[in-house]
Amino acid sequence: MRRRAVRRRGEDLFWYTFLPTAIAVGLLWLVASQIKWSFVETLDFAALWKFRLALWQGTLNTLILTGVSVALGTVGGTLLAVGLQLRFRPLSWLIVSYVEIFRNTPLLLQLFWIHFALPQLTGISTTPFQSGFIAVTLQSTAYLADIARAGIQAIPKGQWEAADALGLSARVKWLEIVLPQALKIMIPPLANIAVGYFKASAVLALLSVGELMTVTTRIAQYSFKPIEAFTLAGAIYLVLGAIFSSLTYKLERVFSTSEKRQ
Amino acid sequence: MTWDWAVFFGTFPLLGSALVTTLELVIASLVLASLIGVILCFGRLIGKGALGWLATAYVSMFRGLPETVLIFWIYYCGPFVFDARLSSFASGVLSLSLVAGAYMGEIFRAGVLAVPRGQYEAADALGLSKVHLVRDVAAPQAFRIMLPAIFSQVTILTKNSSIVSAIGVAELFYRGSTLAGDTFRYFEIFSAVGLVYFALIFPLSLLSQRLERTLAVTR
Amino acid sequence: MRGPVSMSNEEPIIVCQDVRRHYGQFEALRGVSLTIRKGEVVCIVGPSGSGKSTFLRTINGLEEIDGGNITVDGISLPGSRRETIEIRRRAGMVFQSFNLFPHMTVRRNVTLAPMRNQRLSRSDADKIAERLLARVHIGDQIDKYPEQLSGGQQQRVAIARALAMEPRVLMFDEPTSALDPEMVNEVLEVMRELSHSGITMLVVTHEMAFAREVADRIVFMADGNIVCDLPPSSFFSGANEPRVQQFLSKIR
Repeated sequence: MRRRAVRRRGEDLFWYTFLPTAIAVGLLWLVASQIKWSFVETLDFAALWKFRLALWQGTLNTLILTGVSVALGTVGGTLLAVGLQLRFRPLSWLIVSYVEIFRNTPLLLQLFWIHFALPQLTGISTTPFQSGFIAVTLQSTAYLADIARAGIQAIPKGQWEAADALGLSARVKWLEIVLPQALKIMIPPLANIAVGYFKASAVLALLSVGELMTVTTRIAQYSFKPIEAFTLAGAIYLVLGAIFSSLTYKLERVFSTSEKRQ
Repeated sequence: MTWDWAVFFGTFPLLGSALVTTLELVIASLVLASLIGVILCFGRLIGKGALGWLATAYVSMFRGLPETVLIFWIYYCGPFVFDARLSSFASGVLSLSLVAGAYMGEIFRAGVLAVPRGQYEAADALGLSKVHLVRDVAAPQAFRIMLPAIFSQVTILTKNSSIVSAIGVAELFYRGSTLAGDTFRYFEIFSAVGLVYFALIFPLSLLSQRLERTLAVTR
Repeated sequence: MRGPVSMSNEEPIIVCQDVRRHYGQFEALRGVSLTIRKGEVVCIVGPSGSGKSTFLRTINGLEEIDGGNITVDGISLPGSRRETIEIRRRAGMVFQSFNLFPHMTVRRNVTLAPMRNQRLSRSDADKIAERLLARVHIGDQIDKYPEQLSGGQQQRVAIARALAMEPRVLMFDEPTSALDPEMVNEVLEVMRELSHSGITMLVVTHEMAFAREVADRIVFMADGNIVCDLPPSSFFSGANEPRVQQFLSKIR
């Protein structure tokens, strides 16, 4: 019994202390040895200062585009979820098709399709920014339709019955009983999706939509300082993303504790 | 402008090699990401020490970074920072893997943690060695739990593979763009490309959902 | 077979004839007939699975019927959506799990239906709410949220909410079954007061002492049928039904 315990500790020491540290050190050395450290001297972040207005504009565009699109997507997604509740076969089929198409194809493809293909169908052409906005709105609607559906289903059956028993009209039942409760449930996953789109919006740069990544790419080309530009962009996404994520985390905690008392 | 079925159907054969490239991208990234994920999972489970700290830092950083930024960074900045110049394909795989690896690490960790404690106690009681415990008891169960999330991650990887077109890798989206740009038949060609992506991704997504449901039932 | 016994000659508010309901192969209701007249307090009792709750819920259309017909205050079921909604506005229901709206204050829970269904103004609806909540002895909690109240308090709010529509009949689906024992009495007390006020009540319950004290009639159901329908005195003094005797012996 005693011997086993001693051998255990020896084993643990190897697996949990020595090996991991060895791996960490090994990896760090591997990466560090490959780096041409001389480049650090040539770094000139100050050169980006004169582009600060463009960077600010780009960041703002990212935030506005993401924010408004996802907000519209929430409205659209909720409408689709309500549509599914009607249990009308042809409509449900249409909605599910829409949702699956937009969830299972790349955002980049949707972006280009909306910008290049759709005008061939409708005759209306859109600016890159408009195309980007439409693409994010349409795709986020699809994701949010699923979340809204789950939110509606999460409402206890008794709520529906109480609303029915009071003789409330369908309009009142939906607007005052079902949707307010569903929206509360939806907020944490909604916030996660919003943060996700904040990051995903970078891909819109491939069409020069005008958000942060577009601006950064132009700066990188114009100033011949790609390291500084892309590192800065990365930092902005990381920092803002981290702020939003922690806000989301706090939101999640607020909304789950208020449900507990039930 | 009217839809031309000939163009639509004619696109598919032309996408053949591009489709292969996309698949290569996805599979290579998946393998590399899994390797990264295993190390990260190990580090995150330990929590403290050099590897633990490194793993946590890695996950925080690479989950918050858009793939697009990383792709551009590695392709354009890589040659300056590192000595080697990677091909666009390798840059693409590396970028996708670095980000996917962070998510895989978390998936692995969640899977391991989800194996009920009682399993470990039972294995201990039976006197199984650590190796056998991991190999025969913990890993199979953890794997089953992780499977839906892994499938889901593969669909995300497939979608993100399109971003690699930006640095010139001749995958599906790139091929579709150039074809459409040459012929101006954007509508048919992009729709065809979309269909191919859908055909790749939708079954995986369905599988993932079905697996999740069976798992929920059996637990 | 005991037929329905009415103690009053008042107009019938609920008339059920041969109501049937099945779920697949299982027959939950096998031809239930019952008449409730104005002012009566009728308690439906019986073993679990006898179909009491199902039957209650067919009356306001929460459960559909597969046979027979129901007339509530002159309106027939099965009927159109409009008719069903109208029935629900005239027949109030109190649920076992209260089902208060958690995102609304007590006040709004009670005033919602009058304001939306009857287009009452906010001040009129508020007056009604205050009066009713005082009646169920919970007036001081009017601006609290349901989660801040105990089960017994929530159920009393639910009663006030159902009363706010001035229903012709008030139906209770095992109103105290989900309550902790110490809270059962406060709800029964309110129901007792209501029974003395002349309001028509139809109560599905397990509280036999309450039924004995308050009911004009006791309807005993088993296996989807009404076995007997008697005044409390007859029911409790050993009716000649073996099922009833079996049931009563289990409760003593």
